[in-house]
Amino acid sequence: MIDPFQTLGVEARFDLDPDDLARRHRDLSRALHPDRYAGAPAAERRLSLSRAIEVNDAFRVLKDPIRRAEALLRRAGVPVGETAEPKPSPDLLMEMMERREELGDARRRKDLDAVRALAEAIRGREREVLASMGRQFAASDPDATKLAVVLPELGELRYLRRFLDEASAIEEELSS
Amino acid sequence: MAYSEKVIEHYENPRNVGTLDKNDEHVGTGLVGAPACGDVMRLQIKVSDAGVIEDAKFKTFGCGSAIASSSLATEWLKGKTIDEAEQIKNSMIAEELHLPPVKIHCSVLAEDAIKSAIADFRSKQAAKKALPGQ
Repeated sequence: MIDPFQTLGVEARFDLDPDDLARRHRDLSRALHPDRYAGAPAAERRLSLSRAIEVNDAFRVLKDPIRRAEALLRRAGVPVGETAEPKPSPDLLMEMMERREELGDARRRKDLDAVRALAEAIRGREREVLASMGRQFAASDPDATKLAVVLPELGELRYLRRFLDEASAIEEELSS
Repeated sequence: MAYSEKVIEHYENPRNVGTLDKNDEHVGTGLVGAPACGDVMRLQIKVSDAGVIEDAKFKTFGCGSAIASSSLATEWLKGKTIDEAEQIKNSMIAEELHLPPVKIHCSVLAEDAIKSAIADFRSKQAAKKALPGQ
């Protein structure tokens, strides 16, 4: 597995400066642009193209906090994915079930304001979880046993993301 | 990824979507989730005094396979005794729905939900028996 941090030449940390990330992506993409290799030998053209794809993939991973966290955990040897992660807490499941049902009710009532208010509350939660994950990542050494403490929050982040995806689909549906 | 016909059929016509009163002593509720995909599944059973599951309901927020797995589970649960219900394995659900390997965890979630609903029902019954004067 290619290390996306190395590909973009940024430090392997959770709190990345999004502007710096975008700048590095742009600079590398320019340097690897096919136009620059128009007269180069075929092997070099192929190499620059595969590097450009790698750079785009790495950018997509690092831009997304969930995938960035997964990449950091994998780097440290912490297994992520379906069977490896702790089960979500009953409180979180109960809350997400209730919020999703409220969202469904708001959709049936065609209550766009209610959908927006629910999404806004969850976005607030998402900001809190991201900040807390940033602190956890910063506080732990790249040590598998210590980094595993972020797994419950990573799980929570995925639940919040699912909610927000659903909410924006409904917002779009109700505003059209 | 292509869903099997059976998954699509359950997804489009889910059976037994809804809620049972979780405070009813005859009702057992299972609430489970898959952290890697952000799915949440609630499965409820209503058990008669004779120990037969007379009703089952579910609500799942997740992918088509997770919805189909829980829908199928409620269909299978109705009319079974608790002991029979415990015999339902995720592999049976996966096989019936032709789930591909990457979606097997959806059937695991459904099995977890059944087990957790049964455990909730049993703990309610045990609590009832423990009450003095009954």
